[in-house]
Amino acid sequence: MPDSLLLGLALLSALCAMGWLALGMNVHWQQVYGNVASSTRTVRIVRVLGACALVVSMLLCLSSDHASIASLVWVMALAAAVFLVAFLLSWRPRWLAWLVPWVRT
Amino acid sequence: MLSSFRLSMTWVHTWFGLVLGYVLMVCFFFGALSVFDREIDRWAIPETRYEPQPMPSFDSMLLPIFRSIEPEPRSYDYAQGEVQGPLPPRESLAMSDVGAYTTHRDPVLDMYVSFDVPNKPKDANLDHVHAFGYATIDPRSGTVISNDKLKIGSEFFYPLHYSLHLYWKNLGYWLVGMAALTMLAALVTGVVMHRKLLRELFTFRPRKQMRSVLDLHNLTGVAALPFHFFFAFTGLVIFAGIYFPVTSSMFKPQAEAHEKVEELRTGLPHDPAHIAAPLASVDAMVAEAQRRWGERGMPGEVGFLGITHLGDANGYVSVYRAGTDRVTLTGQGIHFRASTGEVIREDPQPSSVAGINDWLTGLHLQHFRHWLLRWLYVLGGLAGCACIATGFVFFVEKRKRQHAKAGASGARWADAMGVTAVTGMLVATGTILVANQLLPGDLPRRGDWEERIFWLAWLLALVHAFWRSAPVAEARLSPAWREQSWVIALLCTAAPVLNWLTTGDHLLKTIAARYWPVAGFDLALLVVATVAVYAARRLGRAERVLVETAGGRGRGSLEAAHA
Repeated sequence: MPDSLLLGLALLSALCAMGWLALGMNVHWQQVYGNVASSTRTVRIVRVLGACALVVSMLLCLSSDHASIASLVWVMALAAAVFLVAFLLSWRPRWLAWLVPWVRT
Repeated sequence: MLSSFRLSMTWVHTWFGLVLGYVLMVCFFFGALSVFDREIDRWAIPETRYEPQPMPSFDSMLLPIFRSIEPEPRSYDYAQGEVQGPLPPRESLAMSDVGAYTTHRDPVLDMYVSFDVPNKPKDANLDHVHAFGYATIDPRSGTVISNDKLKIGSEFFYPLHYSLHLYWKNLGYWLVGMAALTMLAALVTGVVMHRKLLRELFTFRPRKQMRSVLDLHNLTGVAALPFHFFFAFTGLVIFAGIYFPVTSSMFKPQAEAHEKVEELRTGLPHDPAHIAAPLASVDAMVAEAQRRWGERGMPGEVGFLGITHLGDANGYVSVYRAGTDRVTLTGQGIHFRASTGEVIREDPQPSSVAGINDWLTGLHLQHFRHWLLRWLYVLGGLAGCACIATGFVFFVEKRKRQHAKAGASGARWADAMGVTAVTGMLVATGTILVANQLLPGDLPRRGDWEERIFWLAWLLALVHAFWRSAPVAEARLSPAWREQSWVIALLCTAAPVLNWLTTGDHLLKTIAARYWPVAGFDLALLVVATVAVYAARRLGRAERVLVETAGGRGRGSLEAAHA
């Protein structure tokens, strides 16, 4: 796979990771779904998904660059993902519902 | 106890952050621009708009150019001030060392020569001083590019972010060092003050007046915390030699003894033999170095090529590999005897301590080839700017109503300084770019004029910020934020248009040719102009709302942060 695709996927999985981790927090869940509380099971699922996606994004970074560079790319990708999730939550919170398509409201 | 500890942390964060925040703003913003310093150079000097070039032939091209380089008048005058008795004439100083440096982003080649000064230095601690000469060439033809043309990226913005261009007694380096130390302290105290670091990681509430400023401050600070920490810290590591000048003060004898031991260990002569010797083919040495890199499984281009003790029997040639695929800078040095071309030494793999140092300095100096990481660094730098700017705004918003009631002027001063440091800095930056396009091409010492215009514009922004700051004393919004945003929008639109008019390189052409150094910079300027228009309009609306509610509670804080 070309490096640009690997890095694009790394960014995407960092974004999903941060989105899932945000959905694992009640206050942000309510920003997305109104005043409907999430079930304990869903919280656990999105947190595990978030943690896995973090690892996946790191592996994708490692597969495209030397480890010394990959570590920097990964940390900075996480920062970018946090910004994006925070601004999405304040601007278009419903978009984060795409990350949990199995949840019906 | 805990509450007083937290309060003391708050005090440190607030006051050190305010005072040195102005310096930090410069470090972060011009640091962010320095990520693309070579590209800004292309924009500023149109005759260098072509593809990056590898190191050209030393024997046929570089050597005659090195021979033609003379000491810079400024460097010669500086050396004269440092030594006893009059210097020999400028043209007659003998060359000692020469070097040429390039990266995968450089179409041009930077060359320097250090000249021996025979006079005894005034400072008894110094053995000798040097004078320096420089040249920038087009490596395709060997044409010398005039030093009068300022490389705005690598010669102005880049040094500005670590020296502030205050070279008297290294004052700028010390101020920036203080600011970096303050940044580290502000990060630690900020984390202590925050309390909900992870719980509010994604929190941004734009509709909640004061809260929105603080949210943005926390968000930009915490999300990019590793970036802020590592860049402040590695900045200090890079200049550790200035902040702890032990090898030229306390430990000078030990440092000299160490140099002698190094000489024995590496076989690289520390001093010239004072016996003239010819120079063997350097191109052959470069070819040999590249062959050896290939054998190690890391073929590469030459990043740095230097000769120490040129023309002396002890002379040696050092060839370093360009660090495009690693975080560390140039490396894998191979050293040759200059007179014969035989290999004296191959640098071993760095020790673990040296490896960590190389990684820390390399991650800051970023000579690697990785465009995504470059842009992420720009994001980190701009997040730092937003963090500092929202800090200023929060400081003022929190106090201006009490100050207005008490008739105190503190908030007004802080706000005017904030305007100068945030929008004023952008006005100055836009002005130097416009000046670069408008000044006549053959103006002698053109670069000096560009620099003067930059500082003058910043000074005017300061005067304007103070002149327009009266409403802050009545707990209203200073119109200076909005007015300077309009100026930024104007300048950042004018710069790409002038680039088109003076060089013919308009965006359609540069994008079609995929010449990203110029196209990217033009596009970035237009994005800044758009954001500035948006900010100016929001600020205008906020000012009107405040006037209508006659000193009512402000909504201007968020918009100010955008500017």
